[in-house]
Amino acid sequence: MVKQIRLLGFAALVWAALTLAAAAQAEIATTRNPLTSPADVAAGAKTFRSHCAPCHGLNGEGGRGPNLASGVFSHGSSDLDLLNNISDGIPGTEMPGLFYSPDRVWQVVAFIRSLSAGKGAGPKVDVASGAELFKSKGCQQCHRVNGAGGRLGPDLSEIGRIRSVEHLRAALVDPNADVRQRYWVVSLKDASGKSQEGFLMNEDSYTVQFIDMGERLHSVSKSGLKDYKVEKTSKMPSFKESLNTSELDQLVAYLSSLRPKGGAQ
Amino acid sequence: MKRIWVASAIAALAWVVAPLHAQLTYERLLKAEQDPGNWLTYSGNYRGWRYSPLSQMTRDNTRKLKLKWVYQMQTTHTVETTPLVADGVMYFTEPPSNVVAVDAATGRQFWRYRRVMPKKVNVCCGQVNRGVAVLGDRVFVGTGDAHLLALDAKTGAVLWDVEVADYRTGYSVTVAPLVVKDMVICGISGGEYGIRGFLDAYDAASGKRRWRHWTIPAPGEPGSETWPGDSWKTGGAPTWVTGSFDPEQNLIIWGTGNPSPDWNGDNRKGDNLYSDSTIALDADTGKLKWYFQHVPHDVHDWDSVQVPVLVDDEFQGRRRKLIYWAHRNAFYYVLDRETGQFLLGKPFATQTWAKGLDEKGRPIRLPNIDPSPEGTYVWPGVQGATNWFSPSYSPLTKLLYVAVWENKGLYRKGEQEYSPGNRYIGSVPMIDLPDDPGHGAIRALNPKTGDRLWEYKLQTKPWAGLLSTAGQLVFGGSDEGHLFALDATNGKEIWRQNLGGIIRTNPISYQSQGKQVIAIAAGNSMFTFELAD
Repeated sequence: MVKQIRLLGFAALVWAALTLAAAAQAEIATTRNPLTSPADVAAGAKTFRSHCAPCHGLNGEGGRGPNLASGVFSHGSSDLDLLNNISDGIPGTEMPGLFYSPDRVWQVVAFIRSLSAGKGAGPKVDVASGAELFKSKGCQQCHRVNGAGGRLGPDLSEIGRIRSVEHLRAALVDPNADVRQRYWVVSLKDASGKSQEGFLMNEDSYTVQFIDMGERLHSVSKSGLKDYKVEKTSKMPSFKESLNTSELDQLVAYLSSLRPKGGAQ
Repeated sequence: MKRIWVASAIAALAWVVAPLHAQLTYERLLKAEQDPGNWLTYSGNYRGWRYSPLSQMTRDNTRKLKLKWVYQMQTTHTVETTPLVADGVMYFTEPPSNVVAVDAATGRQFWRYRRVMPKKVNVCCGQVNRGVAVLGDRVFVGTGDAHLLALDAKTGAVLWDVEVADYRTGYSVTVAPLVVKDMVICGISGGEYGIRGFLDAYDAASGKRRWRHWTIPAPGEPGSETWPGDSWKTGGAPTWVTGSFDPEQNLIIWGTGNPSPDWNGDNRKGDNLYSDSTIALDADTGKLKWYFQHVPHDVHDWDSVQVPVLVDDEFQGRRRKLIYWAHRNAFYYVLDRETGQFLLGKPFATQTWAKGLDEKGRPIRLPNIDPSPEGTYVWPGVQGATNWFSPSYSPLTKLLYVAVWENKGLYRKGEQEYSPGNRYIGSVPMIDLPDDPGHGAIRALNPKTGDRLWEYKLQTKPWAGLLSTAGQLVFGGSDEGHLFALDATNGKEIWRQNLGGIIRTNPISYQSQGKQVIAIAAGNSMFTFELAD
């Protein structure tokens, strides 16, 4: 009898836990931002530019923090997820919480949503053609997508989450406008006179690490080098002349479609 | 036979625990330089020298340094702690606000105090902590939620816990406290949150506050005319780096931080006293004796939070009580410690914001250097030409050693209204420019002229302070993770070791089991080195 009561009690506890979990899921799914007027978006923009832009960029395009203009968020995409992440910060990341009232944070959510408004479905252009262009224009020689392609340029498997459409377009037209340190070009001549060139991977006061054009990794002591320089220009060609407007749109659409597979969105 | 065994056991036990029973008096802190086997205050002595009289490590034998022990902290936060060593025990903080006591000979833990932190503590630059203070059988620590605690030095038990300020309004304590007499001097952080800064003194025995010196005057007080309207209430001027103490004059010499909001000074037109200043306070009352403001109406976040280096020496023909100060704003200063009078000023790193300093030390600003909506490039950058990490002064070489940043910043101006507990900076600062990150260096200055004697160049900008020793060495660290020893006379590298983690703290030296030891935190670990046999 006692055993039966214990079993019933346990079952009741399990039921209660499952009910609460389901209710929590339902709350996450159903809670909607109550403050979405243009005035709320404007107020949210003001808060965003003061508190969020240092890491996420003035227009949410990303920087130290991820791009917020894509409408895809790694730590939950519901309104309530965004409210909680902004209010409490995200443990294990550099994202701090704000001490603002929920209403003020809802306004920030409204602004962030406005950044991707109309972009949810992506540009209405031919993504498949963009994928073809990616191959035919030789992008894969340097860039890797989902395990296929070269290793000299950035891996683009999740570039659609990380970078805005505007940023992708600018990178194709003018690659030298924003060259990250990881892609600066190292060239050196060692004591025997042998020259080497590659992309900077790491550097300290005494050594440099780079990947050469044959995708071989090198770690070299700077002492004794006959010549050593680091150029901040990009090896990527500009596609300003080699793609027409339509093709550029297609390629940007394809890149923007590259998002993480599975996991929290 | 049994009696002999018991006696031996008691003797052995006494040897093991004896260090924990030694009393650490204020007199010992005053004479710290005569006790080089310990490291009893943040800077090693009250004069802010970060100099060790230990001379076992020399330019000839330092290549034989070897690892003594490593202590791995239980943290993923940035470690900025400077350890203290008192009678065989090393005390240091583990961020966010924990304290650890270990055997200085082995690194084995005696105790660990874990501070349970509130869910939301917003500190501008990570939940860091720069260390503890010790007196008697007590260890004092400030916390990220703006409390000051006294812990039992033998067990880590909390003896008292006082609220310094309300963390929910942006206050926090990251500074290592400084014991002066029977008081614990505790600064405050929050210059990016619109706090009103202060420096406090607490009774070491009871935790009762003895005095508070507000670094921003209230209306009607001297200096209040430099704050329009209510701007003084949210004007910043924190005190987040440990200062120095001049016992002869009974003066606490401390630096103050930036005015708030950092990069938009529109609502605080005026000099904004006593932000970005050196302040000299009567140690018993906290009353201001004199001040010197390095950056009137700062709009670049160039805090005066470097450790004041106090030296008595000949200067321009007469013996004076001096302060040497290599400032975040890229100028090196010499001040008279009795009056605060400006004696010398000269750039020690690249700067593009001032034509120079006038006869009173006030900067002669160049045009078009203020932050702007589109951004203004200025040298030095947001983190300055140096920052909170300690300089070092050697009485042997009579040189001042400074970890230097050569960098420019993009200063943007924005609008921001104050709300308690949230950032109040008025900008979107660019701390590191992706295409021009700058570089670092260790520089030796002639402190009487500001002239550079030598430089040890670094690829990256260092966040580690310096230690000079009687063995004519300078120890420093880099963001790259290297701990290095340089010849103090010419800057030549003698030894270096990759510790595998960013070094963002200050080195110390102490003696253990007859050997000189160097200690410094890197990554999330405390490392110690000694000479190989």
